[in-house]
Amino acid sequence: MSAAATPPPGAYVEWRGVHTAFGGPPVLRGLDLAVARGEVMFIIGASGAGKSVTIKHLVGLLPIDAGEIWFAGARIDQLPERAFAPLRKRIGMVFQSATLFDSMTLAENVALPLRKHGGLGHRAALEDARGRLAQVGMAEHADRYPAELSDGMRKRAAIARTLALSPEVVLFDEPTTGLDPISARRIDRLVRELAERLGVTAIVVSHDLPSIFGVADRVAFLYQGVAHAVATPAALRASPDPVVQQFVTGRSSGPMETPGF
Amino acid sequence: MSTSDAPDDHAHAAPAGGRIARLGAAALGAARATAELWRVYVGTIAGIVRMLRGRRGRIVSRSAGRGELWRQLHAIGNRSVVFVAVTLGFIGMVMTYQACLQLGRVTGDYSQIGSQFLRLTVSDFGPTLTGLMLATRVGAGIAAEIGSMKVTEQIDALRMSGVLPIDHLIVPRFLASLVMTLMLSTLGAAIMYAAGGLTAQASFGVNPHTFFDLSLLRGRHVAMFVVKAAVFGAAIPVVAGFCGLRARGSSEGVGRATTAAVIGGSFAVIVLDFAISATALFVTGGDL
Amino acid sequence: MIGDRLLAGLGASAVRIAQQVGGVLVLAGEVGRALVPPRVDRRELLRHLYRMGNRSVPIVVLTALFAGGLMTLQAGPFVKKFSAAGLAGWGAGYAVLREIGPILIALMFSGRVGANNTAELATMTVTEQLDGLRALAIDPVRFLVVPRVLAMIVMLVALTAIGDLVALTGAAIVGRAMLGIDWGTMFHSFADNLKPYDFLHGIYKSIAFGAAVAMTSCYFGVTVRGGAVGVGRAVNAAVVAAAVSIMLLDFFLTYLIG
Repeated sequence: MSAAATPPPGAYVEWRGVHTAFGGPPVLRGLDLAVARGEVMFIIGASGAGKSVTIKHLVGLLPIDAGEIWFAGARIDQLPERAFAPLRKRIGMVFQSATLFDSMTLAENVALPLRKHGGLGHRAALEDARGRLAQVGMAEHADRYPAELSDGMRKRAAIARTLALSPEVVLFDEPTTGLDPISARRIDRLVRELAERLGVTAIVVSHDLPSIFGVADRVAFLYQGVAHAVATPAALRASPDPVVQQFVTGRSSGPMETPGF
Repeated sequence: MSTSDAPDDHAHAAPAGGRIARLGAAALGAARATAELWRVYVGTIAGIVRMLRGRRGRIVSRSAGRGELWRQLHAIGNRSVVFVAVTLGFIGMVMTYQACLQLGRVTGDYSQIGSQFLRLTVSDFGPTLTGLMLATRVGAGIAAEIGSMKVTEQIDALRMSGVLPIDHLIVPRFLASLVMTLMLSTLGAAIMYAAGGLTAQASFGVNPHTFFDLSLLRGRHVAMFVVKAAVFGAAIPVVAGFCGLRARGSSEGVGRATTAAVIGGSFAVIVLDFAISATALFVTGGDL
Repeated sequence: MIGDRLLAGLGASAVRIAQQVGGVLVLAGEVGRALVPPRVDRRELLRHLYRMGNRSVPIVVLTALFAGGLMTLQAGPFVKKFSAAGLAGWGAGYAVLREIGPILIALMFSGRVGANNTAELATMTVTEQLDGLRALAIDPVRFLVVPRVLAMIVMLVALTAIGDLVALTGAAIVGRAMLGIDWGTMFHSFADNLKPYDFLHGIYKSIAFGAAVAMTSCYFGVTVRGGAVGVGRAVNAAVVAAAVSIMLLDFFLTYLIG
């Protein structure tokens, strides 16, 4: 096991001993992970290791079987669906498939949370939305529909929508998967900017190695349902652990058991 | 997957030229769709002929084809029996109730209600209502199945192995639907009539003997029944298969195909019913 | 034994149907709760009213024309038998207003708008847009389902009213063209024999049908499972459920509101 880098004191988001199984083989078997405020934490691991599940627990989209989830000093895993509403304004999530609403233009998409929670009228919300789209470089496409745009552009618009309510934490589910290298690096820069300029805590699920080593403050490597290793990218790369080494260098053979192959 | 930030080529091209151009385009589209539908129908008949002649040189063997036919008979028939029985039963009760109510208002003479209801059930409502129900259930099912095969490229895979989609997919469903619609229409009509008799007895005290009176039933009524049931049974799978084969895009495409099949099938049933009834009226000189 | 398998199959179907009915009722409860106090997303409501109306008016009008004509054809023999052209309008009109009109229009509506709605909601669910709404702390029921349910009920009532009139027109046309009954006789037949309550009877039914189509359509849309295949199955289930509900409701309402 590699030495886990000690997190700065006062963990902001924490998973304690989380177990999850969807009526079948367990996905998470006692996950312990702490994220500090304002840091960029990458959660990596092979497909099916439970990365997406881990962050969906944070916003109550999936229930846990056992363990605790803490946010900003309060326990949140046992809240009913209704109580999650205020939480979801503080923790935003960018889904893997961007999940923009097909029936609305980009501007209308970004304006939606502003209308519903920001107390803005329709026109004011649209104006604000255009501004936010400009921040992610999508201003000129504000009046187009998601179906007309490429994956990279949709991702950026989705990020703008998630940022509309100024959340303190933003979760990214595989933001660069399936994007061409240029778009991927653009998304990386955005994530970095969020953390540095806006003080957002970013938790990114990814298996895109350049993203991991270019953007992350710390990396948590999920393997067999636990946080097998938690370290800075450099420390991870230098880790003597053979399983970590196999993943980090992208070898297809080695001691790592990959379920389902 | 896109290779750059250039927008996808799914441009929503706005039709130029205003209303008339749009109407013209719509008419052209409808004409083309009708032609394609006709082609599917002809292709189905050709496929049946091929099957009957036992043509060889296809990967799908005759026994596999027959197995598919049985599967379709089961899929269409078995699973629709309860649905048809329940819906036609209820409708039979309601129609009789309304008719008796009306008669009570005007003449109070219930002696003819049974024979007239029988005539109506056999020559019209039995096959038509069954047809509508089947257009919904069977049409949607066929379109959903074939549609998802189309969007997951299984149709293309079929073509690559030298099998005609029409032969393999539509022909068995066509034959099964033909047989099953006839059988289900018979069942439906029977249940409708029986339910009507029950209602007449229970709510208006009409003697079952008086109600279950076959005296007005003529050969031409039965002929209309058979013709309608057969025509509906033929139309529904052709329309549904056609919609399924045209599905494009992933989930939305399948949804659209299924919707189109239900609407197209229902509408076809109504129009064909009208056409057949009107023709019968002309042929018999106004005496249905 | 076949008997055992049949029974097991029936039992499984019964359980499944009970689950679905329960699910629809639960969703209906949530919709009801979201309406008290009535806070609906007005933009969505208007958008759906426009789209659904646009989509369904042509087909309903056509169907109503044919249905009305059909009723006249069926009334033909009576007319011949009693040489009472004046009864043709009565026979056709009564059936149209009370039964054929509301039922056929509801079925067509279910096929056109209901199925489409299910497909849309199902696609949105499959592509995680519903989760996306939840993650933005927006209740999918309030934002997506309620406007659609309201729009569908309002639309179906309006369409039934319009369709009834169109069907009567169709009846008159066929009466003129194929039975030689002139417009005046037909019109008087309608006016003399059809009461306002006959019309209302059908409208009341259309409210119930609208609710049935709307609830089943939305329910099967948001509970979809699996990708493209699931969407097709959801649409299939929705139209079947709507058809059965319409028939059942018609039965009960006919007796209830006479």
